[in-house]
Amino acid sequence: MKLNLSLVVALLVVLSCCMILQQSTWSQMEETTPSVEVPDIKALKTHPESLMLEHARDGRRVLVSGQTKDGKWVDVTTWAVLKPASDGVKLHEDGYIFPAAVGNTNIVVTVNGLTTELPVTVKSVDAPPVSFVRDVMPILSHAGCNNGTCHGGAKGKNGFKLSLRGYDPDFDYELLIEDISGRRFNRAFPEQSLMLLKPTSEVPHKGGQVIVPESRDYNLIHQWISEGVVSDVETTERVARLEVFPESTELSMPGTKQQLIVIAHYPDGTTRDVTREAKFTSSMNEVAKVTDDGVVTAERRGETAILTRYEGAYSTNGIIVMGDRSGYEWVETPAYNYIDTHVHNKLKRLKILPSELCTDEEFVRRIHFDMTGLPPSPDKVRSFLADKTTSKEKREKLIDELVDTSEYVDHWTHKWGDLLQSNRKFLGERGMWLFQQWIHESIAENRPYDKFVHDLITATGSAYQNPAANYFRVSREYTAAVENTTQLFLGVRFSCNKCHDHPFEVWTQNQYYEFGAFFSDVKVKNGRLPGEEVVYASFNPTPVQHPRTLAVVPPSVPFGETKKEITNKRESLAEWLTSTENPMFAKAGVNRIWSYFMGRGIIEPVDDIRTSNPPSNPELLDALTKDFVESGFDIKHIMKTIVRSRTYQQSIKTNKWNKEDTVNFSHGIARRLTAEQLLDAIGVATGSQPSFQGVPKEFRAVQLPDSKVKDDGFLKLFGRPERESSCECERTTEVSLAHAMNLINGPTVANAIIDPNGRIAKLLKENKDDRVIIEEMYLATFARLPMENEYTTAIDHLVSAKSKEEGVQDLMWALINSPAFLFNR
Amino acid sequence: MISLPQTPGRLCDGFSRREFLRVGGAAMLGISLPQVLSLQAKANTTVASATPLNGWGKANSVILLFLQGGPSHIDIWDPKPDAPSNIRGEFNPIPTNVPGIQLSETMPKLAQQMDKACLIRSVSYTPAGLFNHTAAMYQMVTGETPDKVAPSGQLDPPSPADHPNAAAHIAKFRPPEEPMLAAVQLPRPMQESGIIGKGGNAGFLGRAYDPYFLFQDPNKEVKLDDLTLRPEIPPARLQRRKTLLETINANMPEIDKVADSYALNEYYEKAYDLILSQKARNAFDLSQETDVLRDKYGRHTFGQSALLARRLVEAGTRFVQVNWPSVANGNPNTTAWDTHAANFGPLKNLHCPKLDSAVSSLLEDLDQKGMLEETLVLAIGEFGRSPRMGISTSGNGNAPDGRDHWPYCYTGLIAGAGVKGGQVYGKSDATGSTPLEKPVHPRDILATIYHTLGIDPHTIVMNHLDQPRELVKGEVITGIF
Repeated sequence: MKLNLSLVVALLVVLSCCMILQQSTWSQMEETTPSVEVPDIKALKTHPESLMLEHARDGRRVLVSGQTKDGKWVDVTTWAVLKPASDGVKLHEDGYIFPAAVGNTNIVVTVNGLTTELPVTVKSVDAPPVSFVRDVMPILSHAGCNNGTCHGGAKGKNGFKLSLRGYDPDFDYELLIEDISGRRFNRAFPEQSLMLLKPTSEVPHKGGQVIVPESRDYNLIHQWISEGVVSDVETTERVARLEVFPESTELSMPGTKQQLIVIAHYPDGTTRDVTREAKFTSSMNEVAKVTDDGVVTAERRGETAILTRYEGAYSTNGIIVMGDRSGYEWVETPAYNYIDTHVHNKLKRLKILPSELCTDEEFVRRIHFDMTGLPPSPDKVRSFLADKTTSKEKREKLIDELVDTSEYVDHWTHKWGDLLQSNRKFLGERGMWLFQQWIHESIAENRPYDKFVHDLITATGSAYQNPAANYFRVSREYTAAVENTTQLFLGVRFSCNKCHDHPFEVWTQNQYYEFGAFFSDVKVKNGRLPGEEVVYASFNPTPVQHPRTLAVVPPSVPFGETKKEITNKRESLAEWLTSTENPMFAKAGVNRIWSYFMGRGIIEPVDDIRTSNPPSNPELLDALTKDFVESGFDIKHIMKTIVRSRTYQQSIKTNKWNKEDTVNFSHGIARRLTAEQLLDAIGVATGSQPSFQGVPKEFRAVQLPDSKVKDDGFLKLFGRPERESSCECERTTEVSLAHAMNLINGPTVANAIIDPNGRIAKLLKENKDDRVIIEEMYLATFARLPMENEYTTAIDHLVSAKSKEEGVQDLMWALINSPAFLFNR
Repeated sequence: MISLPQTPGRLCDGFSRREFLRVGGAAMLGISLPQVLSLQAKANTTVASATPLNGWGKANSVILLFLQGGPSHIDIWDPKPDAPSNIRGEFNPIPTNVPGIQLSETMPKLAQQMDKACLIRSVSYTPAGLFNHTAAMYQMVTGETPDKVAPSGQLDPPSPADHPNAAAHIAKFRPPEEPMLAAVQLPRPMQESGIIGKGGNAGFLGRAYDPYFLFQDPNKEVKLDDLTLRPEIPPARLQRRKTLLETINANMPEIDKVADSYALNEYYEKAYDLILSQKARNAFDLSQETDVLRDKYGRHTFGQSALLARRLVEAGTRFVQVNWPSVANGNPNTTAWDTHAANFGPLKNLHCPKLDSAVSSLLEDLDQKGMLEETLVLAIGEFGRSPRMGISTSGNGNAPDGRDHWPYCYTGLIAGAGVKGGQVYGKSDATGSTPLEKPVHPRDILATIYHTLGIDPHTIVMNHLDQPRELVKGEVITGIF
């Protein structure tokens, strides 16, 4: 019965592998010839410094490092010759040291004439029985049997199904044993078992030969079968954590290698060398490759992370490939605040030079878009440029001014409206307006972020009276509440572990439902007014059940702990979530805010935080997190701190030393304007008010309450989100053929340019001088004065046009279609 | 652009799809098509051992006549004259120009073109979850079953998390060689009741890969705002604007670099070409066809849409989806295929004559123009209809002369691009209820579409959450080539 049940559940499960290490590197570098010679070294050491071998199968590897003349330790394992001093240990071809006789002995390690000694203690040479959990399961993973594309897929392959990457040993054991009437095993003649015939390809196997006959893996499975196919799922705990050595490393040149060693630590205190069975992946294969046996080879300059996985445990180790940086010298660069200090530290380490400061013209445009979603008016640009105080001072003045504008409030209301899915489809028209107003008030009073989130998570009552309760009208089911809450406020994607343990993270399927149990009493009922809904805590909660075991799951948080006895579930969840002790809450929040100003998160994507997606600058993220917490989750404070940094104010213009950098914030990152920014910017440039249905006439795009407001199709085309997902990815800012066609020939730009009440019509009516017109148009589009040759180009065009009106319209069209207009830069 | 940090060679069927994927990304960044194709060919060599090359890369374009609503297979493609009357229905079989193959009397014109097409009479699947049109249609064009259902029991509307449809994948992996719209969908969206456009778009690939939607009636005059130059902007003025813009941009090299990273200039060039060459505009201009041919296709929305599809393919469009112009609403007096009631009269007098003239003319026309060899043509619905009349299979009520939804066995027509004409593939049982041999899943049909275009159906793309997803989990129907 249990078997059938698990089968059914397995078939229902939609498997998904949520992963992919994020790109983190400089992208392209010229390749150089790999170096393969033994480095010139003056000292040797091994890691570990001594070995303890517990039993006959306890094989271990050692790393051998050599110290070069300039004091750096480099990996020389490849060239090391190991010689046991006695018969107490024996060496395998793959470099593993195995016990042979109980007692103490030594191994002499020699590289290039230098030697060192490795003491070894052999405790026992007995072979313990084979464990299903610790021996057999890792083989299935290592051979790839339980990959999502093989038997680990939702429906398995060819009638044989395993849990994805072995997250469920119990399920796997049951299926191995009982499926197809146990024909997988022949206990009398183990070698005749399908479990050995298939993976060795001795009978046809679509996956090919994944286990070699007579290999170590083969022999282990053979022994397990001959020992009676025993399960130790109930008694044996899986690996608790992985230790990968070296923790982080810098490789000087392409071709340089580094062996990794992986030690599995078990809850009972024992350890194993699992380098052979662990899976390694490099987040950037272009930077460094890693082989199945854990040898990292530098390919080209850049940064990568090696993700090591073994039986549900993970470790991420940073690799820097420096490459040839001869001629590099750090140029002293002022640090405006702690952000710059951390950014510069990282740049120095990677031998990168930051860009110059952006110009005042660039700054005034950039800060307006980032703070208010709108470009500055021509007059604003003029007065900012004319201000004679120092550039640094007037920039700070402008920052302080902008965070207190109503445009700031509109812009961030819109942003949070997206994330909280404020949408008439979910909330009805009145609900949507009230929710927008609630967000607007929160932003206007700069409600602390923890308070803002606490209000949402604990909201009850009529959504007309307490619009925060709309949070649970959007997330009506506990599954939606789990996924939205974790993604929005912790930056993690629990949707993966709804159906299986997260394949590349610590999150388990159980945790998903434990988190869900906090929402088990949330119910929505109709209120007295039409369309009114009331969110309340029901006395009859719907118990949250684990989909496979069907056990009722009690509420529990995925890390840390809730403070007190859980009496009010959401109250205690909200308290845990928004606590200053919660290491993820402030970090996810500040990383998100950072990304809005800097073009990418320190962890990117900002809502996909996990060990296998490490921050590009952990010290910077920690400092920002600390500041955010200490400020009392003051959003304006953290925004101001970010934009006051020199890092924010860098030019997009790169130099020789930072042109390949994309993740270390060594230069500004240009971003395509969002749909609303673009439409509003066209409005400012042309002086033509776009028309929307069902909202006040003077509304800008950024003030619209949701995506159902009709325009001429422009906003949807340019990626306005539908507000039906809590994922930042719902908004798109790509460029495509359809966008180009629309800007060139579509109605939005064309109609705005010829608007009889627009800027052009007005300038022509006032009969202004060509130069004045051109200046005004550059200010209205690029937020700067034209250069002399730009006046010439423009005047030439006006003069040769059929009419002045046509010429000016053409100029406006060209300015709007320029990337200098389409991008925030 | 998109890469997986997995050691190559660890997948069950080799790692060529990885490399292939990179090609797909590269193509967007302006690698020339010949390069892409040669890389694709290379990518394919490793797959070749597992997949025979029948039909591989034969098609330059695909026309999908999507018969939304679910036409009755017994009354059109797979007559059952020997079945009891409550199954056989009111129509008789007629011979075709291929000895041994019969069609229903509702398709006399197609009978004369049967030598050009293959009937797959064993299309079959068991619905996972929802037994309604939207779910079935979504599966037909994306290969996936939707997993989210609104509280109303209806499927959720289109979402950016949807699986991309075939048109989107094709636009991504085989963009047109010359400036032309990669994919076009007409003359109306896919629809069931209030759910409009589910499965009709690029989903997680992003709007850049959405088909061009021409939701207008080509039997009337078609308006194309973005493809048509506005009266105040004659070509010479647009040309002048273009030059001015280029001069302005040339003055800002740093910003131009940014544009490069978004391939902005390439898109602008293509857009100018499309607008200025008026190639797309012309392709939509049915007045350039003779009245004789237009009459032959049929002077109705579906007939003229089929003709338009041919013109678009001729101009370089890769994928044209013509949706049946009337939606499922259970009203027998409109031409919707969803004949829960009054299956026979409307079929004979309203629906089938339109289908017949359009499909037969399209096949003949493509053949005469020498285009059939490189154009894959399909005509299929999201399901067939219940062999027994008056019973309920979907929970809908059915009149005694109505037929309910039937996904377990139905027929699809496929032709061109190396598909052998004049054949029947697969076989249904005596009542058209279940396939007797060679069952074909809709996913297999999608796999076959990708295959004929030279795209490995098992290519992996990353979804919006960066999870690896296959284009389609189906197998190529190699037996039809």
